[in-house]
Amino acid sequence: MSGHPKVLVIDDEDLLRTGVQRLLEMEGYVVDVAANGTEGILLGTKGDYDLAIIDLKMPDKDGMEVLKEIHTVRPNTVCFIATAFASFDTAIQATKLGADGYIPKPFSVEELLQQLELGNKKRLLLLETERLRKDRENRLLEIAFERTRMNTIVNALEDGVLVINKNGEAVLFNPSALKYLQLNEIVIEEFLIPKLHPQIAELINRYLLAEEYLSKSFSIQLALSDSNETFVQLTCSPVPHPDGSLAGVVLVLKNITELKKIEQLKSQFVSMVSHELKAPIAAVYGYLKLISDRSIQLTEDQQQKFIERSEFRLDALLKMVNDLLDISRIEMKTVRREITDLDIPAIIKSILELFSLELKNSGLTVNFSFPENLSFIQADAEEINRLFTNLISNAVKYNKLNGKIDIAVSANENFVITSIADSGIGIKNEEKKKLFHEFFRAKNEFTKEINGTGLGLSIVKRIVDSYSGKIEVESEFGKGTKFIVSLPFRTSMKIKNDENEY
Amino acid sequence: MAKIVIIDDDHDILDASSLVLTSKGHEVLTATNPEDGFQLVKEAVPDLIILDVMMNEPDDGFFLAQRFRKNKITVPILMYSSVSKTIGMSFGVNELVPVDDFVEKPISPSLLVEKVEHLLQLRREK
Repeated sequence: MSGHPKVLVIDDEDLLRTGVQRLLEMEGYVVDVAANGTEGILLGTKGDYDLAIIDLKMPDKDGMEVLKEIHTVRPNTVCFIATAFASFDTAIQATKLGADGYIPKPFSVEELLQQLELGNKKRLLLLETERLRKDRENRLLEIAFERTRMNTIVNALEDGVLVINKNGEAVLFNPSALKYLQLNEIVIEEFLIPKLHPQIAELINRYLLAEEYLSKSFSIQLALSDSNETFVQLTCSPVPHPDGSLAGVVLVLKNITELKKIEQLKSQFVSMVSHELKAPIAAVYGYLKLISDRSIQLTEDQQQKFIERSEFRLDALLKMVNDLLDISRIEMKTVRREITDLDIPAIIKSILELFSLELKNSGLTVNFSFPENLSFIQADAEEINRLFTNLISNAVKYNKLNGKIDIAVSANENFVITSIADSGIGIKNEEKKKLFHEFFRAKNEFTKEINGTGLGLSIVKRIVDSYSGKIEVESEFGKGTKFIVSLPFRTSMKIKNDENEY
Repeated sequence: MAKIVIIDDDHDILDASSLVLTSKGHEVLTATNPEDGFQLVKEAVPDLIILDVMMNEPDDGFFLAQRFRKNKITVPILMYSSVSKTIGMSFGVNELVPVDDFVEKPISPSLLVEKVEHLLQLRREK
């Protein structure tokens, strides 16, 4: 309300109406007039007047009816009833029906202004009340909205959340909590402790039954008895009241199955590595014990053979340790990759030169074909060298005497495709799946004299995968094996990221 | 002098163990995988079987031992293992590991001979 309060005067007496209008306008009021009840209702409901003076007796409508109509739409308009039939009873009745004041006719100028002054004050209070009410409503709306939003967020969490008050009753939970707690339902405010897994109940009771407020969080891991062998990590944290006493606890349940699986794979790997490292040590140790044991007579040939076998096994052991170091380097990505332009045919040629002695000794023929003007690929030279050295080494080692090796490089839009085929012992169908597994070595009468760590192809696969490439194998037992390696021309994002890490 | 079958996929272990035992006057037959081993035992009827735990699969030895027992082959079994301490198994006869004794790799010839003689002695006393 500005400095000029708006007043509506509703009276059927022309003189009084215009007189009051002039008087009030002189006092700084903005005044509208209505000559009857109907017009009064129209104006009074359309405009938001601060004040209204309503004549009680009008030909068309009763003043009380007009007041009621105006108040229905404009509850904050302060309405006065003016009447010549002033009596104590009508005053009370008018007030009961919602009049804010009562002006007996005839009235003096002072009386009118005094009443209106009071009316103004009341109007201000009404408006302030209205503002506060709206504020409060808005805040309640906000709170309701916040609560819905929080519920939506909590319900959407992949982690399970359960809040329990200090009496052990459920306060809040989400669907994931039901899943991980393996409960069909939780009813808010139900005493939940007996329904929970004993280990969880015990954990919660640690807080609820503690004599002093326990401020630490505790975690336990549980294996769920479901078909997916799910592992859940449950963390329980206290929720304090503002005064520091315990309000309840919040449980967060996290699915850690994947982590557990990785953990299992790691320990399996460690146990395999231990076994693989121990085998050659056991063999060499056995031979050395034989040689040093004075109660066992060895011929010179036997001694010589045992020493040679020991060297062979130790050589393999050394290679295996080196391969393992390579694997852990690829795994931990501590290899500092130097991405350069690489010419795959040139790399293969240089590898073949290194193998020239072995090729000659085994009488192997190599057919090597590659297109002219092949684009370079972007990769780390050492890794690509390692990849093809391992494959060519296998093609040599697992070949037949006087066999052959066919190497062909080709390209499509995105990949360089290299196939390396030997005419060797081949791979049995059931062994193909395991081919890239660590320490897998085909065991048959042909392979027992071949030195290998069982890690070569595993390294090949890891390198190919790290460049987002692909490796395929075609083989027929007894006839030969063909490896097909596809490497992308461009380094993938994956590799670029690796570079950025250092 | 006894007939002993050794089943192990490591040729060097087979060679060294065979030599130790033949030098003590025993007859030694060898196999490098569970299937051949099973057939060899059935045909040769040895006085003692020496069996490696880990062959193609980490628990091949256990399964083969179980298979012998299921087929009523009661010949004493001495098991070679490179993991016994790691997996903390109890050295005793039970249903899952129906063997008579263990030798951990790497094998000392004198310990091997000692264990073999002990098992053969027990068998003779039965």
